[in-house]
Order: sequence, then structure tokens, then C-alpha cells
Amino acid sequence: MRGWVRDWIRRRQGPDRDDVTLRRGRIYILPTGLGLAFGVMLVAMLLGSLNYANNLGLVLTFLLGALGFVAMHACHRNLEALVVKTAGTEPPFAGQPAVFRFALANHGRAPRFDLETTSTAGGPSGTSVAGGGEATVEIRVPTRRRGSIELERVEVATRYPYGLFRAWAVLHPDLACVVYPSPAAGAPPPPLSPSLSGGGSRRRGDDDFAGLKDYHPGDPPRHIAWKAYARAGELLVKEFSGDAETIPVFDLADAPGGDLEARLSILARWIVDASARGMTYGLRLPGDEIPPEPGESQRRRCLAAIARFEAPATDVA
Amino acid sequence: MSPERQESFNRLAWTMAGLVAALGPHFLRMQAWVSAFVIGACAWRLLAERRGWRMPPAFLRGLIAAGVTVGVMAGYSTITGLDGGTALLALMSALKLLETRTARDHAILIFIGWFLCLSAFLYAQDIATAAWVLPTVWLLAAALLRVSRHGAEGLAPRPFRTTGAMLLKAVPVALVLFFFFPRVEGSFWGAPSSERALTGLADEISPGDISELTLNDVVAFRVRFEGNPPPPSLRYWRGPVFSQFDGFSWSRGDVQSFRGAAVAYAGAPVDYTVTLEPTGQHMLFALDMVENWTPGLAGQAWDFGLRTRRPVNAVLQYEARSYPRYRAGEDIGLALRNASLRLPPNRNPRSTELALRLRGQAGSDVAFVRAVLDLFREQEFYYTLTPPGLARDSVDDFLFNTRQGFCEHFASAFTSLMRAAGIPARVVAGYQGGDWNPLGGYMIVRQSHAHAWSEIWLPGTGWRRVDPTSAVAPERVERGLEASFAGSELLPDALARGTPLLWQARMFWDNLNAQWNDGVIQFNRATQDALLSAFGFDDPDWKAFAAALGIGLGLAVALLLAWLAFEFRPRRTDPASTAYRRFTRRLARRGIEHEVGEAPRDFARRVRRLRPDLGTPALAITETYLRLRYGPAPAATDLRLLRGLVARFRP
Repeated sequence: MRGWVRDWIRRRQGPDRDDVTLRRGRIYILPTGLGLAFGVMLVAMLLGSLNYANNLGLVLTFLLGALGFVAMHACHRNLEALVVKTAGTEPPFAGQPAVFRFALANHGRAPRFDLETTSTAGGPSGTSVAGGGEATVEIRVPTRRRGSIELERVEVATRYPYGLFRAWAVLHPDLACVVYPSPAAGAPPPPLSPSLSGGGSRRRGDDDFAGLKDYHPGDPPRHIAWKAYARAGELLVKEFSGDAETIPVFDLADAPGGDLEARLSILARWIVDASARGMTYGLRLPGDEIPPEPGESQRRRCLAAIARFEAPATDVA
Repeated sequence: MSPERQESFNRLAWTMAGLVAALGPHFLRMQAWVSAFVIGACAWRLLAERRGWRMPPAFLRGLIAAGVTVGVMAGYSTITGLDGGTALLALMSALKLLETRTARDHAILIFIGWFLCLSAFLYAQDIATAAWVLPTVWLLAAALLRVSRHGAEGLAPRPFRTTGAMLLKAVPVALVLFFFFPRVEGSFWGAPSSERALTGLADEISPGDISELTLNDVVAFRVRFEGNPPPPSLRYWRGPVFSQFDGFSWSRGDVQSFRGAAVAYAGAPVDYTVTLEPTGQHMLFALDMVENWTPGLAGQAWDFGLRTRRPVNAVLQYEARSYPRYRAGEDIGLALRNASLRLPPNRNPRSTELALRLRGQAGSDVAFVRAVLDLFREQEFYYTLTPPGLARDSVDDFLFNTRQGFCEHFASAFTSLMRAAGIPARVVAGYQGGDWNPLGGYMIVRQSHAHAWSEIWLPGTGWRRVDPTSAVAPERVERGLEASFAGSELLPDALARGTPLLWQARMFWDNLNAQWNDGVIQFNRATQDALLSAFGFDDPDWKAFAAALGIGLGLAVALLLAWLAFEFRPRRTDPASTAYRRFTRRLARRGIEHEVGEAPRDFARRVRRLRPDLGTPALAITETYLRLRYGPAPAATDLRLLRGLVARFRP
């Protein structure tokens, strides 16, 4: 039943791209358990008041009934015309929750209270948005293994006011988030002398000017070629060659062990450690090579590459 | 206190405030141990929350629950009646307090609070109760709003205010439901039974009872006359009739039944509507002699009193028609005659002797009656609010010893003298007189108008009213107690009666109560039919009710939706942007579209390039707009300028 309703809603609404404004057609509302209990109470009060022809009892009953009715509309209104925007993801290591961010924008005057954003796997998190304001909410989806995790369905719901009704809207953002392999604990250090079998590694240092390359965030500012920038308006970085530092290229083949996942974990550990030390490094996987670069984007690129890595048919162990 | 503890305490404080307010009207009505238990539980829970004590374990709570249920069974002898049910509800709320943690627990307490509000209305529907209970309903709803929120920090609604706004929005829907929801006649199950001691006339009367009642200014009933009210000397409201005398007090006696007697009516009738306050008794009050009354409400007993099947536990309204001139029960049965002559043996011997002597001196029954009334008038009998207590043979003691009495003393003595002399007689209690309320145009009959008089049977005239009090204090009948006891401190509200302004204020308040009784408490199927007729539904049936309810609810809901739409309306964009948008729309109609992300100045330059004739106004509009949006101190004149420029801009 529940699954059928979900499929029906998904067929009805289709996938959501970009910002979604919650219109009347996509807001559903039902009484909660408390709301049903409230209804039973009202029926009992109505019968009692009618039986005793007690007009003030009827006033009380009708006033509470009307209050429930107003609460239903207020609950619906609390979601209506709310704008839900995707606001990025934060890739986790396997075992940690993946974070999907959404911004809830309220273009109305009245504040929206107690908005819960949930997904099939995530927990509730209530938030309120002032009139004309915007709030960011996070949906955390637990992960177990590396690869990619998808957020197919998000519910924006509210029980405000009184918790007698629950109004909700379903979004199908079809967002995916990379899940990095978790870095192995107690991994062996990366091989000091780079393996020559795979083409060796270049050496980089500070000694001799070797040429210009594109700037990447994380490059030391003192290496920026300011003259070149003044000329061309493009940020370039001077490269030097020397033997002050060995630039490692982490190779899957160098990671010990028989199990592919364990070896990928070791690679992840090497990348995380090297990145933490601000080193420049590269990555080599069967069928894929990432040239050495320093910086945060390199870390992401390398971790994403091992997250998505799938062993070729003939594994070179 | 940690933030979580503080939050938990605040939630508890809201719920408890609502609950205590709902219990408010019941505290004095409930048995003392129930009130004490409830207050104790509240206090303990607040302390426990402050000090972080542990809640009592489940088995202990179960034990207490069983204990209080048995207590209610023992104390109230039932748990289903209004008294027992209310006490049980109060005790259960107190028990629930001992385990309240989750939002659900709080909600249950709040629901119990609303039930207690309903129960308060089953006890009383007066203005004071409504004025207490309706804010309580608001407070309880605010508490529900407060405790039902979870996990949200920062921006929070103000519970009382938000709920007030919601209740205000609920009022139209509630009013439509109140007016057009069809009322049922009769009831599905029994009426609420409450064992309350109410002030008023009872089924027995002893010397001193009525003089005590007279000190009470509480309203007994209100009467609205069609046409003029009858003169004061005819304002005798018949209540219980007492036929059995035990030598000291009068009672209705064993519920003996005699044949109903025929009444011949004469003269002009008086039509009126009585709104009777709850009495807890079976009798209705009507002017002598009542001919017709709201059908099905009551039956007329052999003693001409109107009696209902169920006790009058709520405000009751009935119509009646009476004829001040009548001849009742000319044909007296032997059994009734004997019962109306019976005196207890060997009691009040001196009175019996007096009666026989006077009857012997007088030639006829009528002359004897006059002789007894002359005795009261001419000898030293005193009409007083504070009669001394009487001995066991109350008539002898009064006639020969104290000689000070109130109406019931005179009625009792007169009736027993009649009986002793062989004239069937009985004591009638009721009310005599009434305060006219000029503001509302109705008569207020208070407990202080309580009165007792005699009724004697004579051949050829039937049962006739004789008021011996009028022989001693004729002004009592003509002008009321105040005339008899002018300046007495004992009279209820002597101060108010003596001060015109206070008296006016009291009449205003009483009129408000009367309106409340007529408009709110007595709103019933008949009133509904009249209301529907006013809207053009003649002879309303269920279709008329459905139509009225549908139309009314439709209007109320439309109002509600408009209200909500206004509250949740989009934020107004600033007027400069609105004017600028009108400018771009006009250009778009001429094929010059404002591109997304195109800066206003670039756009203006493009306009000049494409339509050189529009260049100057377009640039002026753009510059004014930019000054308004981004200038350091936008002037109001600029806005007017921009609007003017845009209005004159006709590409």
C-alpha cells in the first residue's frame, strides 16, 4: 500500500529538476493519530451536548471543531508556495552519512514553522523560516559501501499547528552523491621509491624554473606568475623542477592485500594522509591515471576515482 | 537547569495552567479529598520537575488509580453520574500528570481539560461560567500548540497569540454550526444527575423556612408577559401545595392521588413565558389559575400544581396561560375532603378550641373566615423577618405565645384553624410579586419573593385563595417586602434597593442574564425554525437545514480562506521595481525584450539603439530607477517621478 502510494505520487509528479515551488496540487494532508483522537473527542462532546440540550456545550464543541478545521488549513498553508532548492551535497566516506542540502525559501509574509524534511532513510529535522527568509536543511543518508548514493525522494512535511494534521509534499530530486571508500585504519605507508613499472614519477621541487601551468586552488601563492597575469589576465603558476620533494603517484598495484575493496581503502588512506600534509600527488588505477596536482580538488578527484573504480575483467593483481 | 529540563518544565507549566483553569469551576463542587488529591499531584509534579525527581513506577500508579476509582465509587456511589464522572476525570488527569513526558501525554491532559470544560457547562450555563470556561479553552489550545512543537529552535510562534488568531478565524464557522446544526428533541440517554442543594422551595415547609429563604436575593425565574402584567394583588405564583400537617410542619404528604378537579375559567387570560432557573425539584411555577402550558413539559396534579417528570436541573423555559378569575374544584371528592380536614390528634389543643369557639360565634363559614382574619388584623400579631423559634405544637405557640411570624406562620395557623372548624384547607407555597425590570420589560421573581398562603374549599365557590398575611401586612402583597420592612438591615440588598444607580446597574446585569437565557441557553429547535423562517424557509424540514448549513458554512469557509490568503500573501516587491517592470513590459509588447541578466543601463542603451525616439525617456526612467534602488538616500519625489515617467512612456 505504502509503496503503491509512493509509486503513484512519483508517476503523478515526475522527477523534479531545479527549484520546486510547492503548489496546491502536490501538497497532501491527512489527520495524525492525535487528530483522529481529537475527532473522536469532538463526536463524544457533540453527542453529550445534544443529549443534554446544552447549548454552551455545543458552542464549545463547534468552536473546537472549527479550530481543528482552521488548523487543517493553516497546516496546508504552512507548506503552500514554499520554494525548495537543492543546495549541494557533501560526499562522505563509506559508513558516514551522505549529506544532501536543500534551501527552503519563503517568499510569503507569514513565517513558516516546524518544517520537517525527511527522506526514506533520513531522520526528521524541524526548522522554521521567517517571512521572506530562507533556511538550509540537511538530509543525512547513511552509507555502507563506496560508490554512489542516490536521493530519490524527499518529503517536506509539517504538523504545525497543534499536530492534529500532517501536510506533506514529495519531491523527487534524483540527486546522487559519491561515497568515498573509507580510509583503511593501520594501512602500510605508501612505497617510498615510486614504482618504475608504471612509468615512474616526475620530480618536482623549487630549484629550477620548468615552465608555467594553470593555477589550481592550493598552489602556493608565491609561485603565481603575476607578470603573466597582468599580461593575459589569466592566473598561471610557475613550475620548478628539482629534487627537494618526491612526488608520489599512488598506484593500486602498490596497495598490498588480495581484496580489491581493502586495497582501495588503503589507497584512500594514502590520499587522505597526503592531502592532509598538503602534498602534491597523483593516482594510477588500471585504465585511469590522474596526473599529480596539489590541493582540495585533486583530493576530491582522486577519491571520486577510487569510489567509482570498477575492476576490469582481467584484474592485474 | 539544563536547556532540556527548562524546556520540559515550560511545557509542563503550560499544560498544567490549562488543566488547573479547566478544573477551576469544579474545585468547590468536588468532594474535598478529590480537590486535595488533584492539587497535591500538581504541586508534586512541579516540584519533581524542578528537582529532577523520578516519576513513580507503573505499579504504584496502577495502585493509586485503582484506589481513587474505589474512592469515587465509595464517595459518589457511582462513577457514571455527572458528579462522579467529573471527579473521576479530575483524578485521572492528576494521575496522568505523574507520568507525563511525551507530547502525546500532554495532549491527553489537554483533551481531559476540554472535557472538564464541557462538564462545567453541564453544571451551569450562566454568564460567569462561560466567561471562565471560554478563555480556558483558549489557554488549553495554546498549551497544545506549545507542547506539540518539537525540535525547532530559534523562530517560534507565540502560543497564546497565535491560538487567539486561530480561534478568531474559527468563530464564523462555529457560529454557523451553532445556529444551523439541527437540534434533537429529547435525549439519547438520561439527563445528567447531580446531587446539588439548590436554594428554593422544597417539598416540606416548617415555620421559619420561608423567612430564611427571603433573605436570598437569587433569581428564581423571570417572566415576560404578553401585554400588561396582572396587578400586584394577583401575582401569586403557585408552587408546591402542602396537605399534610404533623402539628409542626407541612408536607406534600404521601404521594396520594385524587381525581383531577374541573376548573371554570372566566375573564381575560394572562399569557406569559417563564424562564425558570434550575431548582432540582419537579415543580413549575404558574399564576393562579393556569389553563394551558407548553405541551409535554409537565402535568397538572390534583392540587393544580404543575409537575415535571424529571427534576429541573437546567434553565427551563415554558409558556403558560392563566386566568386570574376562576372557580376550581367545586366538586370535591370524599377522600380529598377528608385529607384536607385531617389534623394530627392531640396536637395544638388550644387552637382547636379557639377555632370551634369562633365557628360557633360566627353564623357561617364565610363569617368564620372573616373572624379569623380579623383576629390576625386586630389583635397584636406582628409580621417579622426574624420570627422566634416555635415549640412542638407550633400553631398553639404562635397564636397564644409568640405572636410574631412570617407568612408561613400565618398560613399554617390559618389553615389549621380552618381544618379544626371543618373547612377543607391547605397551605400553598410559591412566590408573590416580582421586580419589574424596565430595561428588559420583564418581571424578576427572586427567592426573596417566596411566600406561603392558604387555600380553602367552600361549597359553591370551590378552592379559594386566602392570604392571611395580607390581613396583618397588606403592603406586603401590594408593594412587596421592602414596603413592610422599610429600612430593615435584614432585607437582601437593602443598599442596592435604596440607591437608584446601584438598582439600575443591577437591572442592567439582570437584563443581560435574561437575554443570555433567552438567546443562548434556550436556543432550541423552535428558535431554529423561527430563524430559518426568517431566512425564507417556510416550515423548515431537513432539506432546509442542510441548505442553510451548506450556504452558511460555504460563506464562513470562504471568509476563512480569504483571511488565510491575506495572511500568507507574497511579500510586496518594492514600488520602484513594480514601476520598472511596467516599463519593460511595455517595451516587450513592442518587441524589445529585457533579457535575463541584462543590466538596466545596457538595456536602456539597447533601447536607444533600436528606437532612437524612445532613448531619452528610457534613459531617464533607468537612471531614476537605479537611483531609487541603489542610491544612498532614495527620495519619495523620485518614486513619484519614476511613476510619472513610466505612465507617460508609450512606445
